[in-house]
Amino acid sequence: MIFLSIFLSVDWHELLLKSVVGFNRYVLYYFLTLNTVYLVLFIVSLFEVVRFVRRTFFSDYQQILKSEMTWPISIIVPAHNEERGIVETVRSLLQLNYGEFEVLVVNDGSKDNTLERLIRAFDLRKTDRIYRRTLPTARVRGIYASLEVPNLVVVDKEQGGKSDALNAGINLSRYPLFCSVDADSVIEENALLRVVKPFMEHPEEMVAVGGIVRIVNGCEVRDGRVVRISLPRKALPVFQVVEYLRAFLSGRIGWSVLRSLLIISGAFGLYKKSDVVAVGGYDSYTDTEDLELVVKLHEHLKKQKTKYRIVFVPDPVCWTEVPERFKTLLLQRNRWHRGLLQSFSRHWRMLLNPRYGVIGTVALPYFLLFEVLGPFVEVLGYLSVILAYFLGILNMEFFLLFLLAAVFYGVFLSIAAVLLEEISFRRYPAWEDLARLIWYAVWENVGFRQLLALFKVKAFFDFILRRRRWGEMGHRGFQPAPSTASR
Amino acid sequence: MSEILIRALWVLGGVLFFLSVYIIANKALREMTERRVAWTRGELEPKILEYVNGKGERLGAALPPLGRADRRVVEDVLLDNGRFLKGNARDRITAACEDLGYVRDRMRQLKSSRWWRRAEAAEKLGTMKSPKAAAELIALMRDEMPEVRMRAARALGQLETRSSVKPLIGTLQDPNRWSALRIADILAGMGPEAADELVESFATLPAKARVAAVDCLGRVKSHRAAGLLIKLLSDPDRDIRARAAHSLGLIGDPNFTPDLQRALKDPAWPVRAMAAKALGKLGRPEAVAPLFDLLRDREWWVRINAAEGLRSMGDSGLAALVNAIDSEDRYARHAAVATLEGAGVLDQYVEKLVSADEKEREAALTLIRKIVAAERTDHLMQAASRHAQEKVREQLSRLLTPPEVKVQVKA
Repeated sequence: MIFLSIFLSVDWHELLLKSVVGFNRYVLYYFLTLNTVYLVLFIVSLFEVVRFVRRTFFSDYQQILKSEMTWPISIIVPAHNEERGIVETVRSLLQLNYGEFEVLVVNDGSKDNTLERLIRAFDLRKTDRIYRRTLPTARVRGIYASLEVPNLVVVDKEQGGKSDALNAGINLSRYPLFCSVDADSVIEENALLRVVKPFMEHPEEMVAVGGIVRIVNGCEVRDGRVVRISLPRKALPVFQVVEYLRAFLSGRIGWSVLRSLLIISGAFGLYKKSDVVAVGGYDSYTDTEDLELVVKLHEHLKKQKTKYRIVFVPDPVCWTEVPERFKTLLLQRNRWHRGLLQSFSRHWRMLLNPRYGVIGTVALPYFLLFEVLGPFVEVLGYLSVILAYFLGILNMEFFLLFLLAAVFYGVFLSIAAVLLEEISFRRYPAWEDLARLIWYAVWENVGFRQLLALFKVKAFFDFILRRRRWGEMGHRGFQPAPSTASR
Repeated sequence: MSEILIRALWVLGGVLFFLSVYIIANKALREMTERRVAWTRGELEPKILEYVNGKGERLGAALPPLGRADRRVVEDVLLDNGRFLKGNARDRITAACEDLGYVRDRMRQLKSSRWWRRAEAAEKLGTMKSPKAAAELIALMRDEMPEVRMRAARALGQLETRSSVKPLIGTLQDPNRWSALRIADILAGMGPEAADELVESFATLPAKARVAAVDCLGRVKSHRAAGLLIKLLSDPDRDIRARAAHSLGLIGDPNFTPDLQRALKDPAWPVRAMAAKALGKLGRPEAVAPLFDLLRDREWWVRINAAEGLRSMGDSGLAALVNAIDSEDRYARHAAVATLEGAGVLDQYVEKLVSADEKEREAALTLIRKIVAAERTDHLMQAASRHAQEKVREQLSRLLTPPEVKVQVKA
């Protein structure tokens, strides 16, 4: 009875009105805070890019190439059902411009002809090389090597997932640094020389270095080399080009400067093996092994009170294919966001913990507030506007202005990323590509961004329901498409 | 609130417009400049090359009056050629740079407040190779920016003047490890003169600089450094001991063998690994036995270097590796099989299974039986199924028949 009387005494309409108005105000403050953070990151990145470009005028890459003291590198390529492009990828890796390196391909229980193609292409023979199980992995069935290509080793193992394959590669690697590379990616000729430089400068402190990932859709690839760079014709991959530019050039550079880099792309990253082994290698409990590894490294090294560096370098380029269909994009982003949530749930103790320095007090709170909760705020914001409209409390003029300001600000950040690209690396030389980049930088904020927010909300529920699905990317391989080749 | 938003929109709209225009204008301007430079270069380059190849006394007399942008093009052409030319043509480039005032301009630029301008000037002065710049470049070695110090060091290396050796040695202690290594490279490029100076001043060098100095001495291959390097095999710092062993291997005098053999017993594994590698380079037969013992070392790198050392010693080393296959120590067995396999020796023995010479056949059978007993048969199994000759396949299959064989990947 008491509850009923309370229930009847509440002015529900008034409560709903107050809630909607309150939430809208929260969205406004949220928007201001988020964009201030983005602006700060952009300004930090701008200075860093200019400094970096000035430094690259005086690059020592030839000396790094020739020096006996340059760290040798083991390149680890996990491959699962990659028969279409694996030979091409390995050929391109073997041609890298670098002194001493080995290529370790880990065939992770492929059901197609990945292993057979490699055996045929490189005349591989089963060898008696010792497999030391420093990190636990699924059973290794055989190790293959080639007399013609002495720095190529192929490991055939039972399927254990990408993390497991990478761990197997680490176990077999000979060198103190290892570079993880996706089997469907193309590494630029001088990328290793560029990515190793931070290790040459600060050998004791450097733990991991990430390179930039660019989008290969639309480019022409010949003999494992990107020979002509241009934007894809389809809209969806171009939106992702703009998104990647923003994420890498004004996101990761900024976090790297603040010594809080949490992500090094699995497609291309260089690590000190001893530190990775010390944290137990890659983890198969999360869907994004790259993010998890970097967070684990931070946690471990901070606990050890070791002076260390994990940095991002914007000019060693790894070219990779991105989804051209919405369904594939949904699967990819779902996995990424699930991985973020999984890592977050495993390392929540680092949050706001001064023991972890800027990582605990700035980077992780940022990821919680803006990456984890951001999509909810955005989607709920749209819903509350609809609700406010039906309740008759929507100030249409204010709403439109706010919407416009939000879109304009998003456009500003996207165009600023294009500016960073244009003043620094200029990978898209054609006028048409520049015009399209600017055009898509505008339209990316109307529709594409909102779609990604919806994908992330779905990923959150998948995380709660413990649904795990990797999703096939549906790669086309790097053979130039007929239309591209004939242009 | 709406007022504020309207203003914000105007500001953002303006910024967006400005950014877009800036991006486009920047690209347009850059492309125009590039075209203009290419055109000017096309006009002036033939005249500059004629001068470089010996025509005329002064380049200035052969060129039309130059504007500021044209002067830069001429300088670029001279420096581009200066990077790979030698002899008289190279001297003429230096003379032209001095005559046209480029050396003077760049020396002035060394005092710029912007580090990248100082670095650029140092880099160009190095390529100009004008000894007039030596004193300024030496002073620049104390610059606060590592990039500038690096360029100055490289420029001094290019000048190849005796006066630059000491300042370069002084900067081996650069906190940036890569800079120190680069300076060591530069010193190594300067040859025995730098080595003598390094030996003399070694005692005064700080700890960090010593490793780079030892490395440099090895690369110069100066015999006069041998005494110091042998002494350094007993240095308290394990990095110095390891680099000293490596450097002795680079110098390559067989007389170092006893000293390096002693280093094989060093408690630090990097020293043992480097000494094993160095002994392989010296190739003395008396080193076979200690390297053979080292195949049982507890460190993987040491075992591998010992095996590689034996492999590079020729027949006696390979014979030792073959003997190691039935060693009691499984690590020694594995290292030996892996090295023989990598060197292609295993395949040679497989071929001998069907040799007309009975001794050869017997030797091949013995080796393969040893490998079967050592349980490292993956490579042989492959050969048994893929070898071109049927006889070889049959022989191998028989030898590999269980129960002797357990093809397993060791955990």
